[in-house]
Amino acid sequence: MLPVLPALRGLLPRGGLTRGSVVAVAEFGLLCLALAAAASADGAWCGITGIPEAGMLAAAALGLDAGRTLLVPDPGPSWPQVVASLLDGCELVLLRPPARTPAPVQVKRRLEASLRRGRGVLLVAGDWPGAQLRLRVVTQRWAGLGDGHGRLRACCAEVAADGRGEAAMTRTRWLWLPGEDGGVAVAGPRDLPFDIQDPPGTAPALRVVGG
Amino acid sequence: MVVACPDLHLSVGPDIQRARRHEQMIAVVTGFCPDVEVVEPGVCAFGARGPARYFGGETALAGRITAALADLGVDSRTGVADGLFAALLAARDGTTVPPGGTARFLAGQPVSVLADRDLSAQDLAALLKRLGLCTLGDFAALPVRDVASRFGDAGERAHRLARGLDFRPLVTLPPPADLSVVQEFDPREPRAEPVVFAAKALAMSLHDGLAARGLTCVRVQITVTWADGGESSRRWRHDGLLSEAAVADRVRWQLDGWHPAPGGQTAGDENTPGGIAALRLLPDQVVRAAGQQLALWGETLVSDRVARAAMRVQAMLGHEAVLRPVLGGGRNAGDQVTPIPFGEKTEPRLPADRPWPGRVRGTAPGLVFPAAREADVTDDAGRAVTVSGRCALSAAPARLAVHGEPSRRVTGWAGPWPLYERWWDPSAARRRARFQLATEDGRAWLAVVKDGGWLVEAGYW
Repeated sequence: MLPVLPALRGLLPRGGLTRGSVVAVAEFGLLCLALAAAASADGAWCGITGIPEAGMLAAAALGLDAGRTLLVPDPGPSWPQVVASLLDGCELVLLRPPARTPAPVQVKRRLEASLRRGRGVLLVAGDWPGAQLRLRVVTQRWAGLGDGHGRLRACCAEVAADGRGEAAMTRTRWLWLPGEDGGVAVAGPRDLPFDIQDPPGTAPALRVVGG
Repeated sequence: MVVACPDLHLSVGPDIQRARRHEQMIAVVTGFCPDVEVVEPGVCAFGARGPARYFGGETALAGRITAALADLGVDSRTGVADGLFAALLAARDGTTVPPGGTARFLAGQPVSVLADRDLSAQDLAALLKRLGLCTLGDFAALPVRDVASRFGDAGERAHRLARGLDFRPLVTLPPPADLSVVQEFDPREPRAEPVVFAAKALAMSLHDGLAARGLTCVRVQITVTWADGGESSRRWRHDGLLSEAAVADRVRWQLDGWHPAPGGQTAGDENTPGGIAALRLLPDQVVRAAGQQLALWGETLVSDRVARAAMRVQAMLGHEAVLRPVLGGGRNAGDQVTPIPFGEKTEPRLPADRPWPGRVRGTAPGLVFPAAREADVTDDAGRAVTVSGRCALSAAPARLAVHGEPSRRVTGWAGPWPLYERWWDPSAARRRARFQLATEDGRAWLAVVKDGGWLVEAGYW
């Protein structure tokens, strides 16, 4: 099991990333980097492939160790082989498969099989049918910008997790992603953005907040 | 004597034709002197005393070589001097420095020539220029002990070069054991790419073997044996400065340049008759290593497993495809992280320990677009928002439309934060105003006004 940041443990069924599993995040963002941060800080090597716009400064602020990161911005059409090679050396690989040329099912199954053998974790920023765990950011609101003044300070985000097996039940958490110090923290009930700046007509509906 | 052919310089990317002509050039020069060493593609060197005596003088020899290469259609220049460093400089102008006159010849050269073959000497050359030592003669006039204490090992080496002495005191030791490394290919490898990939690992074991004994080699001999028994053997200048990637590059050049029959078959045939049977790297002229080795291919706390995985992906996609991010300094979103290809020295492009006034403070963006995306920012009435030279906005931004995406309503904004970089250099001056915009879907953007147009450089989500 690879460790995750304390604030994210409540979202994952066993409080960590199970080795040999695939975790799918709806789109690339700070959530992907946050999931990789604790493992990297703990000594694991992390490979980021297919994401040329990954913000490494933000990743370092979340806790990722840039000295133990490999970037492959453009894996090209043979990305399954690239991912398989990276999994040999890195315990965690963050991948964004190209949207235009989806890989056939057999290729994905072979990748999953080698993943289970190598005992790494594959974090996919995109769609991956059959992922053991799926996470997405439902809503997020940045704090700190006014009407021509201030600067971006922190973002309060609601993250939902579901999946197969143990993770079948949906859990949601409100998190500071990132907080003022750049790290991830659980947002207290008074931080939630139930504010009057919601445009009229879009009153937030009641939603279950996991506990 | 050094023979330099500027047309055949292979630094601008591989070209099979050029590599073949390089091999032909080496073959021609070898006809005059058997012991030729290749300094870099297009440049080769050999000791001139023996051949010059045979052919009746250095000028006569140079004339014959130039004529023979002109028959081949290659433009060449030759230079003669004591020592390789001076001879390389002499080859640039095609001069012959009389024996004993090397020190005087070098005294007139500018300090920047120290950095020609050894990129790590660039800092030293810049420093010497700032200190007012503009020519090698000025530098050579300084006492050795002062140079060693002020500039260290690198400075002492450069001082030896400036005085016309050799790069290293050539006390070549007979190698204690066989330090060569061999890789055999069974079945025979018909393609060049896997051999080049194997060469990288082979070079690593060669360097490890040398480093374990505290040695380094002045030259490395690369021998490729083909299945039909033919052999291609070249000596390349090493000086302890080549990395594994550089040795693999030389193997690739050597394979590219080979053509099987001396008659010269045209392109279109496989340049590997029957396949490659073995690859051998032999260190030539082994000398004691100085401490600076560690900086070159050291400081890697990279485990074998990770290095093998990275090098395998590099063999698939190319050397620049696998990068390591190095955090450094800078003002703009894209400047602060320098991606360095795996295996090279990890140094940021801009130093991190400076204040860098003018950078956007606070949270770093989660996404930094490699190329800034064009966008339109409009106010309530639909007109484009402009920023005057005095940072006055025409109106408050109301909608942000990044090209290729739907228009979004702006819920919060801050700026303009002006930045005027390098105003003293008209060609490099950059003048922009930065904004942070938060939109209704919860995302935030780093937008920049440049020359009247809006660009989005980074995203926060």
